[in-house]
Amino acid sequence: MRRILFVVQKEFRQIRRTRAYFALIFVAPFVQLLVMGSALTTEVKNVPVTIVDDDHSPMSREIVRAASATASFDFLGTAASEAQATAMLDSGRARMVLAIPPHFERDLKDLRTPEVQVLVDGVDGNSAGVSLGYATAMLAQVQGRWAQSMAPPSPERGAGAITMVPRMWYNANLDSKLNFVPGLVGILLVIVTTFLTAINIVREKEIGTLEQIMVTPLKGLQLIIGKIIPFTILGFAQLTIGLLAAGLVFGIWMKGSLLLLYFLTLVFCFSTLGLGIFVSTLARTQQQAMFIAWFFMIFAMLLSGFFVPIENMPAGVRYLTYLNPLRYFILILREVFLKGTDFRFLWKEAAAMGAIGLVALVSATMRFQKRLK
Amino acid sequence: MNRILLSIFRKEITHILRDPQSLVMVLLMPLLMLFLYGYAITLDMKGIDTAIIDESRTPESRALAQRLSTTDFFRIRARNLALDGIEDLFKSRTARCVLVIPSDYAIRLIARGGAEVELIIDASDPNAAEFVDNYFGQVVAAQSASLAGGGRLLFAVSPRVFYNPDMRSADFFVPGLIAVILILISTLLTSIAIVREKESGTMEQILVSPIRPGQMILGKVLPYTAIGFAAGVLILSVGSLWFRVPIKGSLLLVLAMMLIYTVSGISLGILVSTIARTQAVAMLAAVTLTILPIIMMSGFIFPVSSMPKVFQWVSAAIPATYFLQIIRGIVLKGSTVLDLYRPAGILVGMDILLIAASVRSFRARLE
Repeated sequence: MRRILFVVQKEFRQIRRTRAYFALIFVAPFVQLLVMGSALTTEVKNVPVTIVDDDHSPMSREIVRAASATASFDFLGTAASEAQATAMLDSGRARMVLAIPPHFERDLKDLRTPEVQVLVDGVDGNSAGVSLGYATAMLAQVQGRWAQSMAPPSPERGAGAITMVPRMWYNANLDSKLNFVPGLVGILLVIVTTFLTAINIVREKEIGTLEQIMVTPLKGLQLIIGKIIPFTILGFAQLTIGLLAAGLVFGIWMKGSLLLLYFLTLVFCFSTLGLGIFVSTLARTQQQAMFIAWFFMIFAMLLSGFFVPIENMPAGVRYLTYLNPLRYFILILREVFLKGTDFRFLWKEAAAMGAIGLVALVSATMRFQKRLK
Repeated sequence: MNRILLSIFRKEITHILRDPQSLVMVLLMPLLMLFLYGYAITLDMKGIDTAIIDESRTPESRALAQRLSTTDFFRIRARNLALDGIEDLFKSRTARCVLVIPSDYAIRLIARGGAEVELIIDASDPNAAEFVDNYFGQVVAAQSASLAGGGRLLFAVSPRVFYNPDMRSADFFVPGLIAVILILISTLLTSIAIVREKESGTMEQILVSPIRPGQMILGKVLPYTAIGFAAGVLILSVGSLWFRVPIKGSLLLVLAMMLIYTVSGISLGILVSTIARTQAVAMLAAVTLTILPIIMMSGFIFPVSSMPKVFQWVSAAIPATYFLQIIRGIVLKGSTVLDLYRPAGILVGMDILLIAASVRSFRARLE
């Protein structure tokens, strides 16, 4: 026990001496949350839109007016011809074109159902889908107004319109910050625990101090525990700073229990620290450790549901995400942060993280000892 | 001159070959990312878990519930629970949205010509909530239209999706990944290669030899340009052969633009190497200067036009922003030089600026 304490003491001394760690732990969360929390947005806003109006009738002009009044559009004005509009799509100046055909109003009044074409740049499929939704909604509104004024609903026809009232819980303004910021706290935590642990151990290998430690009476397991404790504490410090930053920078304070989050973070740290030690047994140089750690982290980040919801992934990939501790932790962070979910609904995630952590730590320790012999 | 250049080039190749693990990783990482992005990321949602609370219990309300359950988008998981059970339903993640049909639904619909229904959505994922909202709006509109007797459509809306008609994510990500990988590899490897010599002290030895700094830089940079370029070509070929991303424009133009873009990465790498003293710092600097801004702010995933103005300016200062426009233009839209002169011109301008800056700072450090 006393030996472990010595290792912890030594690690802290080293950490204190490395200035970069302090920047990483105390400054980085603020900067990264500020930058990424503001820049990362899946909302689709300011879609550059142009309209080709081949009808020039009061009705077609009403559509133009409605488009220019739509908040999510950056309305570029009307284009002279469809050729000009497609050229704007080609050059990327416009991302959506509404084309109103000639004789639109006449056909509409004769009940011949004219067609408004919506041409959309599909390169970014997600944005294209959302933009199409905006255009359809905008046109449906115009259509609804006209339908009302052209044929007011008569009681004998016996049916009317259904209106839908959406209620957004937990995030009334659909602000994507609320979704990204808790997730970012989790990602920052992985960087500290996995990355720094791997680099730290490999560095000792590279400069030869690991050999020196090995000839002391210190056992492998004691060394590993001594390495885990300081980095867990660092992780907790960073989590706390991250929570503070989320509150101070964005006003996103946690709804759920802090104690629950700390407990689940501890479980999570075991899995990421285990991974870090495992990486350190694979790498010979810091450069390799860096590469391998990146490799794992990109994998973990992409399959965590941070960028892309897991339900949207194909079945094979979805099964793969069950192996990813970050997947559970990001879910936990979001649940506890936004909904105040309690342990009753999170114990499965906690159990999964615990199991992964146990496997990672045990196999890392075994590999570590084998490598020493 | 050429002989010296060649021998430095050969020395660098020996370095690379001596660490085959790193080389394999450098080439494997892009492939892994390609497969993850190509497969993992589809943005069409299906099977949203839904609960229905029908307080009306009339043929009219059942008709609406029926229409909802016949779509692919909604999957009915629970019916007729109590209103105060919604919170638990969301927290246990059994349902994403709850449709509440009020008790006066049928009466209002028939007698007063209009009724309201409520859709309560778990908006902790705002993007998904938006999709659910839009989609449910369509279901309601369809139900309204069929109630009104059908054929009441005044005009139709027909969408046509250009360039990527199936809105496939691979088409979006393959060109984008080339932008990320090219600059990552060229900046990272260049800066590490130079800083390693500094760290081990061999830089001094080389500098006292008759080799001129320019020759040394050029000789060191060329092999990494080749590796970065090879990784880019690898992604492009796997993307077009495996993921069937069509290359609509000129392949030669793509390659030429890749080369121009790689130069900016390499100049950035040299710049980093003059600042960093250790490999770890160089790596961190290279990664924070390349990966983060590119993934976050160049339009690689997140649309630039949706960002706050300040970040749009930052985005305008990143070479990758322009390269992304160029490569997506050529590959997906079949754009030619004429369509792309603006971003291409800016990219070349940035190249010149970066080269000038890196040469200057390298000279300054030597003196």
